[in-house]
Amino acid sequence: MIELHQLTAALYLLASLATFAGLALPGSSFGRLATWLLAGGALLHGLGFARLHTLVPPPPLTDLPLAVSLMAWLAVLFALALVRRGRLESLAGLVAPFAFLGVFYASLSLGGAAAGAASQAGGWPHLHVVLASAGLSLLGVAGLAGILFLAEDRALKAKRRAGWGRRLPSLEALDRVNLLSLAIGFPLLTLGVITGMLWTEGVTGHWWPSDAHATWSAIAWAIYGALAAARFAAGWRGREAAASAAAGFAFLLFAVIGIGVVA
Amino acid sequence: MRILLAGMNHRTAPLEVRERFAVDDPEPWLVKLVAGDEIEEAVLLSTCNRVEVVVTTRRLDAARHRLRAFFTRELGRGEALPEHHSPHAVLYEHVDTDAVRHLFRVASSIDSMVVGEPQILGQVKEAYRAASGCGASGPVLSRLFSSAFAAAKRVRSETRLAERPVSVARVAVDLARQIFETLEDKRALLVGAGEMIEMALDALRGAGLSGASVANRTPAHAGELARRFGATAHGLAELPQLLSAADIVLTCIAAERPLLDVPLFEEALRARRRRPIFAIDIGVPRNVDPEVNRLDGVYLYDLDDLGGVAEANAEERRRESVRAEALVQEEAERFDGWLSALQAVPTIRRLRARAEAIRSAELERAAARLGLSEDARQGVEALTRAIVNKLLHAPMSRLREQAEREEGLAYLEAARVLFALDDPTAPGAEADLDGGAASAADAAPGGGEDDGASGGGA
Repeated sequence: MIELHQLTAALYLLASLATFAGLALPGSSFGRLATWLLAGGALLHGLGFARLHTLVPPPPLTDLPLAVSLMAWLAVLFALALVRRGRLESLAGLVAPFAFLGVFYASLSLGGAAAGAASQAGGWPHLHVVLASAGLSLLGVAGLAGILFLAEDRALKAKRRAGWGRRLPSLEALDRVNLLSLAIGFPLLTLGVITGMLWTEGVTGHWWPSDAHATWSAIAWAIYGALAAARFAAGWRGREAAASAAAGFAFLLFAVIGIGVVA
Repeated sequence: MRILLAGMNHRTAPLEVRERFAVDDPEPWLVKLVAGDEIEEAVLLSTCNRVEVVVTTRRLDAARHRLRAFFTRELGRGEALPEHHSPHAVLYEHVDTDAVRHLFRVASSIDSMVVGEPQILGQVKEAYRAASGCGASGPVLSRLFSSAFAAAKRVRSETRLAERPVSVARVAVDLARQIFETLEDKRALLVGAGEMIEMALDALRGAGLSGASVANRTPAHAGELARRFGATAHGLAELPQLLSAADIVLTCIAAERPLLDVPLFEEALRARRRRPIFAIDIGVPRNVDPEVNRLDGVYLYDLDDLGGVAEANAEERRRESVRAEALVQEEAERFDGWLSALQAVPTIRRLRARAEAIRSAELERAAARLGLSEDARQGVEALTRAIVNKLLHAPMSRLREQAEREEGLAYLEAARVLFALDDPTAPGAEADLDGGAASAADAAPGGGEDDGASGGGA
């Protein structure tokens, strides 16, 4: 399991390097190579998760390193699904460095956790982690698309056209990814919050735990709620939607993982 | 006769300076220029990227002063410019061969912002036509411009400079793809109906654009263009409504002040729920207020911005332009040959040499046939020399006198034709010493090609 994770991390690292080489050398086929490396990494990553069940006892997904690894895997799968469209290859490639960091962190910390409290609450904990991770990974891709949008928008406004600009997806495509990720990611995050509440209720009898993770997650969820409302009801788009997706994801990362790591 | 060229272009002056000097109708300016006694002939070329005047003069320094005053006080309308953009800082001057070569480079599109673009030749032809229409151009500029057209034609057919020009339209399409995922569901608004607009519409259509509207001051012109490309035609009054439906806006129309300003774009953005607008302004003076670029969701590119983009793609063309430069140099030397042949001294010298060659050849033959004694031979020699000198005296002194005057060129040319001075097979031609005359052999004014292509509105 751990060896598979390390191999996965290595492929994600190579995919990251190929992506940067592709952006630096327009006309080369590094971009395509990055996509294949990323796909190979995702395959190994999936095999790693499948092998979890052969371990006795199977480590719980509620273990933070494993949850981070799952998030990275789902983000890579989502990014690979986007590659089918237009010039989104480079966006997928830029997911690779983050996936590498996630898997690298997970492979360092895996194996320490024991099957603990989670097993008492039936299926809710796993469902909570899967849904929340899926939501986080999609909102993460939205944030990344937001950052790229801001960089490209600045370059276009300033009439600077570096070589890398031509390899990046168009502003419209980035805005669409942002919209799509928010449209799927926010409901998944909402379901993650609900299953988390059901888990807590099953264990403690209360709907709401009084820990920092729950409080900050609730704030992050409310922020995304406002962002989704602005985007879908008030018709936000372009620069402001991109900036808020990037800022929102930074906050979410802090609320869900940062607090967990600190704790 | 000297040739002087003065002006500014996209390299020496930014758009906001060039647009202040741009001239819509050159005729009144040309009439003013040739009214004084410093300048004999003049042509004024004003395009998006340059304002240049080329003149002929017999008093170079006086003509220089006249042109500087023309740019600073007359064309510039005395408006204050920032210090580093003062006319003195942005103006360049070229004299004689340099001026000829510069003009040839301009006409051949080597000096263009987008090297190899085809419009400039039409614009140079239009400038020459305007000058000859109001009598500002005479035999020298007429010859100069037809040589320029010939040089441009050679560059176009003998190099690959114009094969795939990075036209402004292509750069615009490239940029549009950075903003939009696809052009297939996009609509364009084109303001103006000139050649640039036509080229842009063609390029956008080629990139898959779904629909277009053409707005023009004269809706009839827009209608003709619209019909050809399956677009809709409108008057300028409809601009606000058209703008809110347009994803891409391209403007190139003659207007004193911007037609599209910030409030108009703000209104359009509201109406189209903030969907982005890519605006390309290739009008000079500009048709879109530059402040529009500050609006969120609007990407405004003017001619200078597009030039910077085109620059990056032009490496290959730059290599090809080395060959074009050589062709231009060759044509410029040919013109110089013609011009120097038209000076009085070489013509008189050649006329005398021809006459002397004929006289001595005939004398040799006669002396051999008649078996003349040395004394008799010297007598006949003196006699023939006197006849030749007397015959040539009047034409040569007339040529010398007339060459000082404006119409002198016509006399010099007439002399060259009447005495067949440029014909190397004529009797006595073996005595020709001055090399310049050879290139004047094919120097009939107005011999250049003129396909009647007209300049764009740019």
